Amino acid sequence: MGAYTSVPTWWNHSDSRYRLVCGECPECGAVSFPPSGACTDCHERVEFEEFEPEGTGTVLSVTVIEGGAPPEFASLLATEDAIAVAVVELDEGARLPAMMADCDPHAVARGDRVERVVRRIYEQEGVVRYGSKFRPVRE
Amino acid sequence: MTEVYVIGASQSDYGAFPEESYRSLFTTAYEGAVDAVDGDFDESLIEEAYVGTLGVGGRQLGLSGPAVTEHVGLHGVSCTRVENACAASGTALRQATLAVKSGVVDVALAGGFEVMTDMSGEQTRYWLGVSGETEWERMAGTTFAGVYAQMADAHMAEHGTTREQLSRVAVKNHANGAKNPHAHLGFECSLEDAMAGTPVADPLNLYDCCPTSDGASVAIVANEEVARELTESPVRVAGTGQASARVGLFQRPTLTGVPASRKAAEQAYEQAGIGPDDVDFAEVHDCFSIAELMAYEDLGFCAPGEAGSYIERGATEPDGERPVNLSGGLKSKGHPIGATGTGQTVEVFKQLRGEAGGRQVDGLETGLSHNVGGSGGAAVVTVYEGGWA
Repeated sequence: MGAYTSVPTWWNHSDSRYRLVCGECPECGAVSFPPSGACTDCHERVEFEEFEPEGTGTVLSVTVIEGGAPPEFASLLATEDAIAVAVVELDEGARLPAMMADCDPHAVARGDRVERVVRRIYEQEGVVRYGSKFRPVRE
Repeated sequence: MTEVYVIGASQSDYGAFPEESYRSLFTTAYEGAVDAVDGDFDESLIEEAYVGTLGVGGRQLGLSGPAVTEHVGLHGVSCTRVENACAASGTALRQATLAVKSGVVDVALAGGFEVMTDMSGEQTRYWLGVSGETEWERMAGTTFAGVYAQMADAHMAEHGTTREQLSRVAVKNHANGAKNPHAHLGFECSLEDAMAGTPVADPLNLYDCCPTSDGASVAIVANEEVARELTESPVRVAGTGQASARVGLFQRPTLTGVPASRKAAEQAYEQAGIGPDDVDFAEVHDCFSIAELMAYEDLGFCAPGEAGSYIERGATEPDGERPVNLSGGLKSKGHPIGATGTGQTVEVFKQLRGEAGGRQVDGLETGLSHNVGGSGGAAVVTVYEGGWA
């Protein structure tokens, strides 16, 4: 059981879940993620100009979850022992919470360059949910 | 507009009480608040009630207000359940204050309750992640402690805040809570223990996190006419402020502060006609150690970025320039979500009336309570002054 995110709710934002689609505000130019609701910067209700970002960004802050994961991630935590979760700022400006993949969770730090990958997120009611995670950019 | 006074306030013990229910805990708090009124209080004067709860565990999610007010015999009153995550009963106090200030009612009740310790581990973890931006933060694997840990990581990087400074919050609040008979975790802890706690969400360890608690609290507010009949030791609600912000940390302009706290504080200070320098003591929302440090900055007790050195020089100790969380705070007294806001009022009420027993600090005239919902989606700040207007 998780904070209930129904299948239709999950799919409503599928462009943002899979491709990180963002919205540029025609009023102030700020970029919001996901592109719905008022602009996160000027708070105007606008028609966002949606675009797909490059998928690269920088870690602004990060935590390593070592206990107390919600039920939907309990099995993942049991397998991985620790999960790094960052606030990532995309190169285009929007921020989003991001689970890290393909790396030592304890090695992730502020300032790290990261890139989006599509991964299995969790399973609910027999439906596997896919979405985006981030991994360190490989030079 | 009339002035508004807290004429009675009380709380149940906070802790783990499998033999209690949300109704029995609320009854204890309510009877205590009625008993705390100096004069002979006619309970039928209460015409309006606001009751805060998140509803953890899913018990009585609907009509949880009347479920407790009718239980204590407040029959037929206008009762509204208030949900603002961890700021539920701080919000209830504001609503009760506004109801009296408007002149519509003479006396109103604000209170809250939560039962959090009687569930399985899975249920508990489920309910702890419901007040963030669930579709995104939670679905990225962020726990509630994790969001505050991200704020701590950013605060440490941007302002040089240290592991030791975070742990000083735990040491101070446990020392205070050890003197509070209502405290859930009423024991002292050493700086060494606090710095070496079991990791929860790096950089936060167990000693950086408040417990989940069972408990209830109630405050009764009245207009000046009623207050003058019933008390000789008045506690005035001098200012009230409330604000909201994006529910998700990633959608707010800063990772190192709570904009809603700043806005709510500005309103409360303006209404009270004071500034942060005039606040003698405060109960702040220390759900995590970093939250207390950010509160110092957001409430204007110190400059942005300087909270670490502010606690390090002892400013917020009981013998410091501005004691913070004399009750033990959420960290030691406990955090039964819906009860926390008016529970803070209980401590301010007692301190201003010289009734705080072994943890009483003398000479306090102006107090403040600061109650935050989620990671900052809502915040309520209340300023209290002893004496008549």
